[in-house]
Amino acid sequence: MTQIQISGLSKAYGPQPVLHDIDLRIEPGEFVALVGPSGCGKSTLLRSIAGLEQTDRGSIHFGTREVTHLPAQAREVAMVFQSYALYPHMTVYDNLAFGPRQRKEPEAQVRQRIDKAARTLHLGDYLLRYPRQLSGGQRQRVAMGRALVREPRAFLFDEPLSNLDAQLRVQMRAEIRLLQRELGTTTVYVTHDQEEAMTMADRVVVLRGGRIEQVGAPLTLYDAPANEFVARFVGSPPMNLLRARLQPGRLQLGPDLHVPLPAVGPGLADDGRWLNLGVRPEHFTLASDAADGADASLPSLPLRVQGIDHLGSQTELHGQVLGAHDEHRILVRLPGRLSVAVGDVVPLSWAPRLQHLFDLDSGVALSVPRAA
Amino acid sequence: MNVATLTRQNPTVTPAVTPAVPHPADAPPLSKRVRASPRWLLQRLALGLTLLFLVLPVAFLLATSFKSRDEVLSGYFFPLAPTWLNWRTLLSVAPLHLNLLNSLLVALLALFITLAIAVPAVYAVVKLRHGQRLAGWLLSSYLSPPVVALLPLFFVWRQAGLTNSTFGLALVDGLSNVPVAFWLLRGFFKQVPLALDEAAWLEGVGPWKTLWRVNLPLIWPGLTATAIICLILSYNEFLFASVLNSRPDLRTITVAISLFEGERVVNFGQMAAASLLGIAPVYALALWFQKHLIGGLGAAATLEHTRRQP
Repeated sequence: MTQIQISGLSKAYGPQPVLHDIDLRIEPGEFVALVGPSGCGKSTLLRSIAGLEQTDRGSIHFGTREVTHLPAQAREVAMVFQSYALYPHMTVYDNLAFGPRQRKEPEAQVRQRIDKAARTLHLGDYLLRYPRQLSGGQRQRVAMGRALVREPRAFLFDEPLSNLDAQLRVQMRAEIRLLQRELGTTTVYVTHDQEEAMTMADRVVVLRGGRIEQVGAPLTLYDAPANEFVARFVGSPPMNLLRARLQPGRLQLGPDLHVPLPAVGPGLADDGRWLNLGVRPEHFTLASDAADGADASLPSLPLRVQGIDHLGSQTELHGQVLGAHDEHRILVRLPGRLSVAVGDVVPLSWAPRLQHLFDLDSGVALSVPRAA
Repeated sequence: MNVATLTRQNPTVTPAVTPAVPHPADAPPLSKRVRASPRWLLQRLALGLTLLFLVLPVAFLLATSFKSRDEVLSGYFFPLAPTWLNWRTLLSVAPLHLNLLNSLLVALLALFITLAIAVPAVYAVVKLRHGQRLAGWLLSSYLSPPVVALLPLFFVWRQAGLTNSTFGLALVDGLSNVPVAFWLLRGFFKQVPLALDEAAWLEGVGPWKTLWRVNLPLIWPGLTATAIICLILSYNEFLFASVLNSRPDLRTITVAISLFEGERVVNFGQMAAASLLGIAPVYALALWFQKHLIGGLGAAATLEHTRRQP
């Protein structure tokens, strides 16, 4: 179990910065996911930890040992590649045995470790096959087996599941998670899929443009996104944003459209400033569902329905808020089935404690009391 | 002298091109209709012309080698009265077996030198991403005519005691083939996904072992093809061999053929026989490794492609 400490790490390809002053501490045994859109630097950060990329500034420590300038072969970490990177000219057994043999470990010990890894990953029947004779899922297991046999200081995963079909992906997610818990090995996992990050990791690091946007437990990112980017990146479908103007005790969403704002946090003056109101699709309710429907403390917006998707257990409505400054569509996800037709106007509501306010320019979340 | 010029240049071109003619067994059976189509006729015509162009010099040599001294001057293509005389007296006129041996020795030694430099250099450039500019510099050095380097090389080699030495000549051939080997191997190494090397490094395996255990087994056909081409280039080399090794017992076959003389006058028939003897090993090698040559140069793209995220 190794702690990974990254301090002030920066890297640029020519004039193009890829990592920007990254500070991150990964605790021993922790499972951390690096997530973000493509080009955000998540793979570069992982490869820097592996020693496959040179960095320009900053340092990386494994425990108390500095590894910043150590070559990859001296870092004692194992990596699972997106392409699996199995040696095509070796059988599965030889693939697993290659590293230990080259490191001159005793053959009996190597065999023992391979047997154990093969049992864990159900590879026993395939040990004498070549990678080209295996399915994608089996290759993926061999790649993991190679990492297990290594008994590394840390596991590094670089989008290991993106070449698998959806069903297998969900199954492998659970297996990797379970395996990591059993072994207790520090793990860094890169993915572009926020759902994968949310379901697997102890903590999620959201990156954009080579900078860390937010680090936190999955539910923290969901409940209290630090900014608009995290708010829209985490959670699926993404959070709806509506332009609003702050007024005493209320938000003005359109010339004649207001919603009540229970209490304003410190640093948020009632000065008529513009901001973005964020509500997740799944946090909307139909106002008529609420008791009496006349509760003035609850917000209510008229939605003109432009599209309906029936998902079985849920119904998704697409539409525009009538009379709002914003004309772009919002998405509403409601439980159960609804008898609503395109063109109808339905009253939307939500619990004010589930709404988010973001600064219009910087996108930074504005503090709002979360009391129910 | 014309015949000698032909034989010197011919083997360079022919072995690399000959295998490109499709083997009859590889071709799918053609229906009568397809066979008669203009397209088919045009293809056959082009193939026939190419073949004629490549075979004609060799056929001429073969015919000449069976002509008597007088008949060579007659100008007929086919010998009217074929004679074995040229072939029977061949070895008594010049120690061609010795020249052949010298050529093979130089070519093998040169090949060793070429690969010992080019293989690690390509690995460093392609996989370790060191010295990216080396590729361009190497090519530029190959573009200038070799004769430019002849004079300085001669003086340096004489000073170092490397003239009139099999090793000295092999060193020149070996070094001058490095760009060829580098550029051929570069393509093969690029087909081995970088992720395979990275996976090996992360397992604690150093670059030399990764080169040896992961890359070379995968580019084996390409390496063989490169080796054959380098062998042939050294074997066919004439300019440096003629200037650097003037001692008769160190002469290579190309030089020996160019200096070929009969007892009193130049005997073209014997020269033709000697030329045929000289190109025989190269042709045999190319035929023997035909599969490797095509497979290797045809760049077997069987390796899984890997994607690298920025």
